[in-house]
Amino acid sequence: MIYLDNSATTRPFDSVIDVMDKSMREMYFNPSAAYKPAVDVDRGMRACRKLIAAQLGAQEDEIFFTSGGTESDNLAILGYAETLHGGGENFVCSAIEHPAVSETIRRVERLGIEVRVLPIDRRGLVDLDAARDVIDENTALVSCMQVSNETGAIQPIEALSALAHGISPRVRVHVDGVQGFMRVPMRMGKMGVDMYALSGHKIHGPKGVGALAVRRGVRLAPQMTGGGQEKNLRSGTYNAPAILGLGQAVKEMAGRHEDVERMRAMKAHLWALLSAMDGVRVNGPMPGEADAAPHILSVSFDGVRGEVMRNALEGAGVLVSTGSACASHKQKVSQTLRSMGLTGEQADGTIRISLGLMNTMDEMDEAAVQTAKMAALLAKYRRR
Amino acid sequence: MREILLVRYGEVFLKGQNRPFFLRKLVDHVKAAVQEVHGHVWLSDGRIYVSDYTDQDEAIRRVSRVFGVHSVSPAIEMEKDSFEAICEQAAKMMEKKTGTFKVLAKRSDKRYPMDSPTIMREAGGYILDHVPHLTVDVNNPDHEITIEIRKLAYLSVDRTMAVSGMPMGTNGKACLLLSGGIDSPVAGFMIAKRGVELCCVHYHSFPYTSERAKEKVLELARILSEYCGRMRVYIVPFTEIQMQIHEKCPENFTTLIMRRYMMRIAEILARKDGAQALITGESIGQVASQTMEALGCTDEVVNMPVFRPCVGMDKSEIIERAEKIGTMETSSLPYEDCCTVFTPKHPATHPRKELVCRAEEKLDSQALIDAAIEGTEIVEVG
Repeated sequence: MIYLDNSATTRPFDSVIDVMDKSMREMYFNPSAAYKPAVDVDRGMRACRKLIAAQLGAQEDEIFFTSGGTESDNLAILGYAETLHGGGENFVCSAIEHPAVSETIRRVERLGIEVRVLPIDRRGLVDLDAARDVIDENTALVSCMQVSNETGAIQPIEALSALAHGISPRVRVHVDGVQGFMRVPMRMGKMGVDMYALSGHKIHGPKGVGALAVRRGVRLAPQMTGGGQEKNLRSGTYNAPAILGLGQAVKEMAGRHEDVERMRAMKAHLWALLSAMDGVRVNGPMPGEADAAPHILSVSFDGVRGEVMRNALEGAGVLVSTGSACASHKQKVSQTLRSMGLTGEQADGTIRISLGLMNTMDEMDEAAVQTAKMAALLAKYRRR
Repeated sequence: MREILLVRYGEVFLKGQNRPFFLRKLVDHVKAAVQEVHGHVWLSDGRIYVSDYTDQDEAIRRVSRVFGVHSVSPAIEMEKDSFEAICEQAAKMMEKKTGTFKVLAKRSDKRYPMDSPTIMREAGGYILDHVPHLTVDVNNPDHEITIEIRKLAYLSVDRTMAVSGMPMGTNGKACLLLSGGIDSPVAGFMIAKRGVELCCVHYHSFPYTSERAKEKVLELARILSEYCGRMRVYIVPFTEIQMQIHEKCPENFTTLIMRRYMMRIAEILARKDGAQALITGESIGQVASQTMEALGCTDEVVNMPVFRPCVGMDKSEIIERAEKIGTMETSSLPYEDCCTVFTPKHPATHPRKELVCRAEEKLDSQALIDAAIEGTEIVEVG
């Protein structure tokens, strides 16, 4: 089996599993307790904070652990909205946000905050010219994903933040970094990011854990109240095994920078093979371009439905997804692809191939062979 | 004194000399239904009783899904010597009720010193005295408390209506063409309700339909099995047949020819499984392949009865049934059951049989059917 759906989730590193195993068997103490074994766990978690902070150009005390990307996005958006006093503010997000952001931001309308949407261009990038018209001096939050989960387009966060601050000096910038963290660089200070959401299971760590990095001086209202963990921002007993597993994943990833580059090369190689077929196109930036993420490749086939292609590839031992996994159980045509100018049929004919650190060049060759084979087979039975 | 369930049965009453056979089946099914909650089941005085269960709500839910059961009531079983004690218990059971009530009495023990009208009057008076917020309404009461004097006394207030029908396995076996849509599970339920055992056939068009579509169909079968017990689901690989039809037959007949193959294969599997009829969810005029002519054209290829219990129902009526049975939510999941690639733009609504037959001649029917049956996967559900 060749697993090419790493944007849905990744296989955990063995070392991650070992760390979690040990945590549950031996270091099961509640890190908030006062005795030494508990303090040891707490110390381990602090090391994890440090590792994450180092990846973001942030400080250890700016990292807050959550249950994952979705919770981090909720905490950032709703938690920030609650601190405002209803002075005619507006929140702005891109047209292609993951539902964790787009559905959450709709909820702030109830608090009297207007929600505005940033259009994107044909390459799947936020349209900065259009952004100038959308953002105004009452814009309190700009939320934009770092990397599109559907096309792998790296968004111009730094430019967007600078633009927003130029118009609305007190604006906060939130970035959903779930698909970008540790595969595309992020320096929160330099890039003007106030809140950054990340998830463990997209970087070969465990599911059910993530973090929100919040720059000092940004006030948020807790969305989970209780025992006061995480400086009162996120109550609930620490999920220590998962947090330690996340830390281990970050540690491994940090030592494998050359693997991220290898991933970029694999993606380019795969596209080189696929592009030899007729009626195939890439959605979003071309592999190799500066704003193309190293691991996500969105491909459309003329006359073949993405859903059927995905099933056929599964039969051939290659696992990919249509559109994005989170949206695919709804089976709607992707809005991201539609807003990039694809016709309904083209958007419907799209699969997403996403790489992880454990893929190999040989797998790319095999995946390309199988894709070509299935495309030829399925093209025979097009709708008349 | 203890809590039990009082289970009433419906149509089985109408049976003459066969009644013991039907009752034995019914009691067996009730026993099977409460096995998980360890209920003890027995038949007496024209009722089925369940006692000693571990979870009353679950026992009621399970028993009310047994075909042949008309209604289920939680009841108190107690000694009948002291009428005072019976009244006391009746008042206790009515304490939490509001509105109006009446007492119903049934006395099958004719040696009991009070007759039914007396029991009603006396018990009613006692309840009125002791539960002052209730009033009597003998014509249209909010609550009916039933006092039955048999070998022991039985008191019950609440009643859960069950599925009715005939005990499973008393009317042969039929094979349901289960698509994953809304109609076919309803059709299967309606026939099963008449005491007919089921097996199911599903046509799987990988890669045009996904693994999830198959999972959905198995889940529908599992929901049906809550009513009709364990059954077999035949998953037939259908892609090759669809592709051949698509390639070789006129486009306007493709759906119809596909339906004919589905019927042919279902008949073969049905006979293998000991079923005597086919069931489909078709309803007249719902889609092009369900016009009168089209139904005639698909019926023609099989030599066993084809039951279509939804045939005269509107979509909204079918949906209402599906919601009641509990299959609607699963049926509404978006995974396609039949790929649009193979759906013609202009299907024939008034097909002529001879043209359809001629169109089919281009296919190597026997080889296609043999291969499909050869590749069939059997899954036991329930």
